[in-house]
Amino acid sequence: MTTTTVRATVSLLARKELHDALRNRWFVLYTVVFAVLALALSWIGLAGGQLYGLAGFGRTTASLINLIMLIVPLMGLTLGALSLALEREQGTLLYILAQPVVPGEVLLGKLLGLAIALTAALSIGFGLSGLLLAWRGSPIGLGAYLGLFGLTILLALLSLSLGILFSSALPRTATALGSALFAWLLLVFLGDLGLLGSALALRISVEQLFTFSLLNPLQVFKVAAILLLRSDLQVLGPAGQYAMHLYGWRLLPLSTSVLLLWTLIPLILAYLFFRRRGAL
Amino acid sequence: MGTGVLAVLLTTLVAQAQPTSLLSERLAAVAPGDTIRVVGGIYPGPLRITKPVVLLGEQAPVIDGRGQGTVVIIEAPDVVLQGFVIRNSGRSLDRENAGIAVHADRVTIADNRIENVLFGIYLRQADSCRILRNTIEGDPTLDTPRRGDLIRLWYSNNALIQDNTTRYGRDVVIWFARGIVLRGNTIQFGRYGLHFMYSDSSRIERNRMLHNSVGAYLMYSTRLTFRRNLLAYNRHASAIGVGLKDMDEVTFEENVLVDNQIGIFIDNSPRAIDAQIRYLGNVVAYNDIGVQALQDAPRSIFRDNSLLENYEQVDLVGGGRFSEANGTFWERNYWSDYRGYDADRDGYGDVPYRAVALFDALTDRTPAFRLFAFSPAVQALELAARAFPVIRPEPKLIDVAPRMQPLLPEGIPAVPRRPRPVLALGGLALLLIGGLTIGSARLRRLR
Repeated sequence: MTTTTVRATVSLLARKELHDALRNRWFVLYTVVFAVLALALSWIGLAGGQLYGLAGFGRTTASLINLIMLIVPLMGLTLGALSLALEREQGTLLYILAQPVVPGEVLLGKLLGLAIALTAALSIGFGLSGLLLAWRGSPIGLGAYLGLFGLTILLALLSLSLGILFSSALPRTATALGSALFAWLLLVFLGDLGLLGSALALRISVEQLFTFSLLNPLQVFKVAAILLLRSDLQVLGPAGQYAMHLYGWRLLPLSTSVLLLWTLIPLILAYLFFRRRGAL
Repeated sequence: MGTGVLAVLLTTLVAQAQPTSLLSERLAAVAPGDTIRVVGGIYPGPLRITKPVVLLGEQAPVIDGRGQGTVVIIEAPDVVLQGFVIRNSGRSLDRENAGIAVHADRVTIADNRIENVLFGIYLRQADSCRILRNTIEGDPTLDTPRRGDLIRLWYSNNALIQDNTTRYGRDVVIWFARGIVLRGNTIQFGRYGLHFMYSDSSRIERNRMLHNSVGAYLMYSTRLTFRRNLLAYNRHASAIGVGLKDMDEVTFEENVLVDNQIGIFIDNSPRAIDAQIRYLGNVVAYNDIGVQALQDAPRSIFRDNSLLENYEQVDLVGGGRFSEANGTFWERNYWSDYRGYDADRDGYGDVPYRAVALFDALTDRTPAFRLFAFSPAVQALELAARAFPVIRPEPKLIDVAPRMQPLLPEGIPAVPRRPRPVLALGGLALLLIGGLTIGSARLRRLR
């Protein structure tokens, strides 16, 4: 098979996946919720910032990061978990695999289609809040804004590939979706709470605390996002100072590569599972 | 146009007509109390003034130290030095090379531009001097600890320091000086904006301390009025807006502390058993920590302050709580995280404000946990603490009737907020990309 036909197949599958995603009610709901909340948070954050025209990085601006950390992994994980499992249950996957395509193409097509859909959804939310921030004269610059957008896309891809892994490994939609939701809970809540608890019990050092926290890709995202918006990590206390002292601005490429690794490894695993399992 | 050219020509002529050594010769020739007008020109330093004379510079005459020693040394009282450009002092910290060194009383230094110096204006045992409307710039290429203090008072009482601007220095130092008035100055890009020690009965008002490591550190003094100052963007490792160490009898009023790492830092103040500190009507906003106290802040009244959107509003290092038995009172402050209501519409909440954030209680004891700030997990924890009082910590302070609206002092100049077209373009581009992708996919489906 030549590269051109591979490309044509992948793009065809991607477009199909994009159509499906846009028809998916969950996807539409996520898009609307993200856009509305991002707008509302930017508005509230700036309403307080009118004070003498001096604005900092208050609790409310921080909640924008919070919103991203809550909703974007949920979007990626659920959409990814539904992608293969739903079609497998409906039998359409069997139909697709009966065509002259290989599993790799199907997986890549799905990933691309969903990634485009997610990027579009996030750019609508970011675009709207960006316009609002610009109009109200926010302290956030274009570089930090686009950087945050890029990081958010990475986070979306990461959770998407995790979702696809569940989808390819688990036989039923319900189990895939359930596992995806549990993974979300683990990433967003349980991981940090667990680390907090064990740090309290075991009295681990600042260095260890920082290193362990980087096992959670969401923390990696958070550290990079704060570094982008604030250009330092003072707000994260001693651990932040330690990280800044040790890595400085190298944290940004470092965390980007960690996020990319978190995307690639589940994808490779997903491919292996999918090749073995096929349409069953 | 013609007159401009003429003026330039004249200046050049005058400058050329005056040999460089003329300034000290003219000084030697005049009687005490005389006025010398200096029009333009460049004169080599050092210039030593040993008679009470008035030196008026017109068209910005320059005294250039050429990188050697102190540029202007004033050793006679009642000297006025006005309208000069003084530049290029030496760089020796142990010899304290300065732009202007003053060793006599009642000296006035006004409207000068002092550039590329180690120390700026150095008053040593010089009482009742006035430092007015000078612009002082250090050498930004030096590391901050290698720089000098752009204004330094050493055993110099009753000085008036007003409307000066300093940049790229180490500190503005006021040590062992009584009755100082520091008013309307702008101090930027230094280490300590104001380094204030052993100086009683002083008044510090309407200054702006921006982008320093520490805005103002007030230490070992009593009877200080500190009001209507703006302290913003003071950030670095362990940076603070205003620090109070062993201070007594301070009225800390209507100051604005914005976007510092720590807004107000309180260390063993007040120190004396009968002394009090009053924090009234201050605005503390967008700091990582609004108010931080080491262990305790006894005999202190916090009234009518507005604590807005600080990541942690009040931090009591080591945990615990402020106690009214020790004389700490929090009254009628505005708290942006207050969740009460005002049914009787008197402007004050009907439910007390309790500072009980579980995460704050954790980080007060173990600062390393600040790493988890902004995590959704922490929000969940706070929610749980609010819903299940079992795990709710003791409140570190209670404000019985908090304000419903922030109280913002008037007369502090606002920075205008302009729309940002570049950011708008970026937002528009993203919106278009997203909209077009979805739109085109939908259209194709319809076809």
